[in-house]
Amino acid sequence: MSLLSKIRDTPVYNAVDRYKKLIIAFLLIVLLFVVGEIVLETFFSVGQILLTVKLASFIALFGLCQMVVIASGGSGLDLSVGYMATMTAVFTAAIMDGQNSNLWMAILVALGLGIAVGLVNGVLTAYVKLPPLVVTLAMANILQGIINAYTAGKNITGRPSPVLQIIAAKSTGMFPNILFILLIVTPIVMIIMYKTKWGLKLFGSGANQTAAYLSGVNVKMVRCTAFIISGTLASLMGLVLIGNMGIAFKDMGSNYVMPSIAAVVVGGVSLTGGEGNYVGVLLGAIFLQTLTNLLVALGWGDAGKWTGFGIVLFVLLIVYVSNRRKR
Amino acid sequence: MKNNSVLKRLISNPDFSRLLILILMFVLTAVLQRNFFAMRSIVRNIDSFMPLILMTMGQAVVIISGGLDLSVGTALSLLTCVLTSVMRAGVPITGLYALVVTFAVAMAIGAINGVGIGYLRIPPVIVTFATSFIWLGIALFLRPTPGGETVDWFQAFYRIRNIETAPAFLKAFGEIIPPSLILILIGCLVWWIVSRTRTGRYIYAVGGNSQSAYETGINTAWVQMKACMINSVFIFLTALFFVGQNGSGDARMGDPLTLKAIAAAVVGGIALTGGRGSVFFALIGALIFSFVSKIIFFANIPNAYQTLFGGLIVIIAIAASQIYTLSSRRTGQESKLT
Repeated sequence: MSLLSKIRDTPVYNAVDRYKKLIIAFLLIVLLFVVGEIVLETFFSVGQILLTVKLASFIALFGLCQMVVIASGGSGLDLSVGYMATMTAVFTAAIMDGQNSNLWMAILVALGLGIAVGLVNGVLTAYVKLPPLVVTLAMANILQGIINAYTAGKNITGRPSPVLQIIAAKSTGMFPNILFILLIVTPIVMIIMYKTKWGLKLFGSGANQTAAYLSGVNVKMVRCTAFIISGTLASLMGLVLIGNMGIAFKDMGSNYVMPSIAAVVVGGVSLTGGEGNYVGVLLGAIFLQTLTNLLVALGWGDAGKWTGFGIVLFVLLIVYVSNRRKR
Repeated sequence: MKNNSVLKRLISNPDFSRLLILILMFVLTAVLQRNFFAMRSIVRNIDSFMPLILMTMGQAVVIISGGLDLSVGTALSLLTCVLTSVMRAGVPITGLYALVVTFAVAMAIGAINGVGIGYLRIPPVIVTFATSFIWLGIALFLRPTPGGETVDWFQAFYRIRNIETAPAFLKAFGEIIPPSLILILIGCLVWWIVSRTRTGRYIYAVGGNSQSAYETGINTAWVQMKACMINSVFIFLTALFFVGQNGSGDARMGDPLTLKAIAAAVVGGIALTGGRGSVFFALIGALIFSFVSKIIFFANIPNAYQTLFGGLIVIIAIAASQIYTLSSRRTGQESKLT
């Protein structure tokens, strides 16, 4: 008894307890690499890891959208991020037309589109009180519809500005540049979420909306803002995606929606809101990308990827979210 | 005086206004569609409305029980893939095997969703979002591209006259009462029977207030699981129709139906918070939704704009219903805090 409580008091135990979800996510990644190495024998290499991290960066940045929305509570998730990014990419391709001088215009358009879509999502969920998943799924359909209407009967023309290509696709030495973006974004996100008043309001609204309301937080406004941030980030991700691919096409963003949510869950962010650590989302994204690589290398393709993602998400929901009645 | 108040009460009754909208849409469609009352167009209309009607009724059962199923679309696709994978063209008995196997798969789908929603109490939208990808993945394993084999008699779920060996009176019967209508009636019958039993009332009780229902001794988890399995029955019936019609399975065909079914249920007065609404009014919601889509089709909107308008209708329909419900029940109870 006393030994147990002594162990509980040690700083190591406290740290392990506090970051256990991050540790689990990290161990899952290691496990995948070990399995991959055993099965394929060429799975574990520095190049492979860097490529994985590069592709995972895109998932992690989309995961940031989800994390902000989830943290604000109200069982929020944003299913429109994929088509949001696609729409921005398709629209800005023609604006940029391969010129750096047009980049500022593209960024303005991206911001405008993101804020507008996020605002509609936010108003419908926070003020009209519709379920976020239904609203954002419908929004995804609408955005897809706009893209279809815009591209009907013509090719999507235009190329990204070279700066975007350098940021998203190129590498410095052996390190992909997108990694540096992530290294800049992560601390900023952590500081905003944990050290500012707004971060406190965001987590407060998610953790206990009544308490937050009674302490003077405008919960509706916070949730609406969370959706606007998500929309804006997703829209900017459209620029990153077109920078990476070099061209814009109709379905370029839609495959990121499921991984972005799964990454958040793998990272141990509580889906009921109120807590979350962005480092966990990064680990979650790396895990999912490693899983994809492994399944693709095994030749299971899309079918294996979606089944794998679905099962991983389902199992982790059982572990982290399930709330069985105690008898 | 008295007449006036009756009229007022009727208009303020949401169910009455739904019927009124339905009649309005019906008349509009009848005006716009040529030969609306010809036997052929009636059959064709029922055929095109049928999937949404059944999927909406199934979704309504889940929503009333306090859940929400985002996996119905991919579950439908998976069932069509299973049906066409089990059947072998020219071997009639395989059709029977396919029915049995697919029904078992449908029940398994409902059970897994039900375990997640009911027993593990994971937020329904999120757990069904996860399972929807499992169904999609398995469907893609079975059918990477649309295709598959069917037996000849399976067309009985679509057009009896297409079966050469069918007796003449059956063919004539199929012309008057199309199989799609019979499938809808089977669906209605299933729910009618369930609603007469204790389970029917429990579904409302659990959706209305899960905690109270639990404390009265209702096995809430089992009730929600049963709701999911009833939903699976409706999805199964829809899958039969699709395979009868197309003769193939497609891992992607069901996706658009998910959102439409939710929206149509909301239009039919099913409260997304659970516990309120009628499954038969969900049917009316699906009809309204179908008529509106039909009218938009007649408005000659270019093909490229159809997804856009589909999405807009969904969001407008859901938002309008929600605002209507919120404004018509401004009496206490609900927390106005957030």
